[in-house]
Amino acid sequence: MLVDRLLRQGAMTELVGPLSSGRTSLLTLCLRAVTRRGALAALVDTDHAFDAAGAAASGVELRRVLWVRAEGHRRHALKAADLLVRCPGFALVALDLGESPPRLSLGAAYRLRQAARRSGVALLIVSARRVVGGAAALSVAARRDRLTWAGPGPVPRRLAGMRSEFHLVRKQGAPSGADAERVWWTA
Amino acid sequence: MSRVACARVEAFAAAAVERCEPRLREQPLAVVTGAPPATRVVEANAHARAAGVRPGLSDAEACVRCPGLVRRPASADAEAAACHALLEACLAVSPRLEDGGPGLVHVDLAGLRGLFGSDADIAARLRRQARAVGLEVRVGIAATRAAASVAARVGPAVNALPPGDERAALASVPLRALEWPEGMAATFTRWGLQTLGDLAALPREGLGARLGAAGLDAHDRAMGVDRAPWVMWTPPVFWEEAQGLEWEIDTVPALAPVLDAVLGRLCARLSAAYLVADTLDVRLALTTGGHHVRAVTLAAPLSDVAALATLLVLEIEAHPPDAAVIGVAISAHVLPRRAAPGDLWQPRAPAPRELASVLARLTALLGGVNVGAPVALDSHRPDACTLTVFTGEAAAVGEAAGISDGTDIGDTATNDATTPHATDADEASAVAPAGALALRRLRPPRPVAVDVADGRPARVTDPAAGALLVVTCAGPWRASGDWWDTNVWARDEWDVALTDGTVWRLAHDRLTNHWLLDAVYD
Repeated sequence: MLVDRLLRQGAMTELVGPLSSGRTSLLTLCLRAVTRRGALAALVDTDHAFDAAGAAASGVELRRVLWVRAEGHRRHALKAADLLVRCPGFALVALDLGESPPRLSLGAAYRLRQAARRSGVALLIVSARRVVGGAAALSVAARRDRLTWAGPGPVPRRLAGMRSEFHLVRKQGAPSGADAERVWWTA
Repeated sequence: MSRVACARVEAFAAAAVERCEPRLREQPLAVVTGAPPATRVVEANAHARAAGVRPGLSDAEACVRCPGLVRRPASADAEAAACHALLEACLAVSPRLEDGGPGLVHVDLAGLRGLFGSDADIAARLRRQARAVGLEVRVGIAATRAAASVAARVGPAVNALPPGDERAALASVPLRALEWPEGMAATFTRWGLQTLGDLAALPREGLGARLGAAGLDAHDRAMGVDRAPWVMWTPPVFWEEAQGLEWEIDTVPALAPVLDAVLGRLCARLSAAYLVADTLDVRLALTTGGHHVRAVTLAAPLSDVAALATLLVLEIEAHPPDAAVIGVAISAHVLPRRAAPGDLWQPRAPAPRELASVLARLTALLGGVNVGAPVALDSHRPDACTLTVFTGEAAAVGEAAGISDGTDIGDTATNDATTPHATDADEASAVAPAGALALRRLRPPRPVAVDVADGRPARVTDPAAGALLVVTCAGPWRASGDWWDTNVWARDEWDVALTDGTVWRLAHDRLTNHWLLDAVYD
């Protein structure tokens, strides 16, 4: 299962893709998996884009989510993630870098990876493009496959769902599994 | 059959003073009251009693009987604090307690045998807990409070009466070993009564006619019968320890050991109840008759004496009192102690100190309004959510009552009696839905220009993305609210797929006739 591979304790994983590719839906699914089993998750939201009401409707237990909003300050977002990933006890620290991810030096990426390894926290970086390069134990690229519309007449009245494809672009030390996975999201 | 334990502190006033000054435990101690020359002994510890010091003796006579006698004035603060400490120590053994008066606590043992073992094991645990807060107790165990109370006064330190045989076990207890209301002991002696068995053999009605309510109570005590209902004791919302001083302290270094001692007792009580201090309030009584009050809010809840003492000393050094100190009282607002894992099946959570430290750093970095746990508001307004304090409280797994999961949402969508417009609906439905399609919100929503054809969006011009043609759109979904208030809203929502491959949620504000980019499906 893709979620299990992204939530490896002590590993830094990366989820990249353009808008409407399904990456935020997969991030929400990870938050749901963590909070539903009683663990705590932290979300560093660089662009203040997290849809809390939608996440609650999807089954995420919001009281177990620490929402850190960086209001567009990417340096602050990286600093916040660095603080959180050094705090043992969070099952997941998700860093959503949004559409304009900052440049991350290789040293900084490896420091984050080392901090995650020491604290046993699963660090998931979500962005439009790859930012940590070889420091990530697993990199997954998201791509939109197709949309499904619904409605009573010839004109669609409702977006019924979307299908995404997730490809493994890097899987150093990751558990084995299919290199591509299709996921169907309902709107 | 019910079992009740009675935990009793002998010579309670002296024990309360010894709790404040532990070195006095090895010396003969008398607690006195009254101004000289009318000073009288009200209580004496075991060493002093062995030397012949008894309550009621004059100060001078007590000193003659016991030349090394240490005298301390009776302290209501110390006794109240010791009383609370005893109750809280017993609370660590059973949740059902009754305050039996100074130095006396009744503990309901129902259901504890499976947890702690035999009566002797429970009594040993009670004694251990009381010792942890600086008090030495005797424990009597019986079927009733009256019998347990007598058992705690006579016999060995742990005196468990055999179930169902309390009256026979109490029959041989001499009346002089117990405390009676004034004049009653003399009456019993005049009647020729020697033991509780003699008293229990008298007719109850006759005792009531001659001695009134006190006589009835005495007969019940001899019979080992409880007639009063159990009055449950609940812990206070805040915890306090206090100590009066016989001398004046006018420097902080001299005050530090006193603060340390008072904090030590307070933290022992908190530890016994599995609590940690969140805020400390220090109240220093001054020679001027006033009080110097300081509040110390801790960055992280803790019950470490050394750390708390250092914080208090620093606070008082920064804000010294105006006059010399003659009394110290420290109260704590408490939180339940939480170990790293909540229980055996609970996933690991951050340690409270580390979590508090991280939250404080994040707040300093991003501001308090940007750090917390999200809360979805009870409103139909889109994006109705706020932030609340993140406590990291881990609750029981699977408590998400009332929250539908993604599977439910997927089922609803799949069962919708509508016509799919997908190019290959069968293939799409063959993949099981993993969850709900998420939105990325734009806060605030971004104004866009929309060209409308046949009442539906046909082209969107966004300042950031440029002009984009609409490939497919669905809607409108009309929503409105707060029409009874000044912040009324009304909008039509459209889901549009654009030529650049993105899917947007557009909102047409019907009040202002503006189009807004509300969110992007992702």
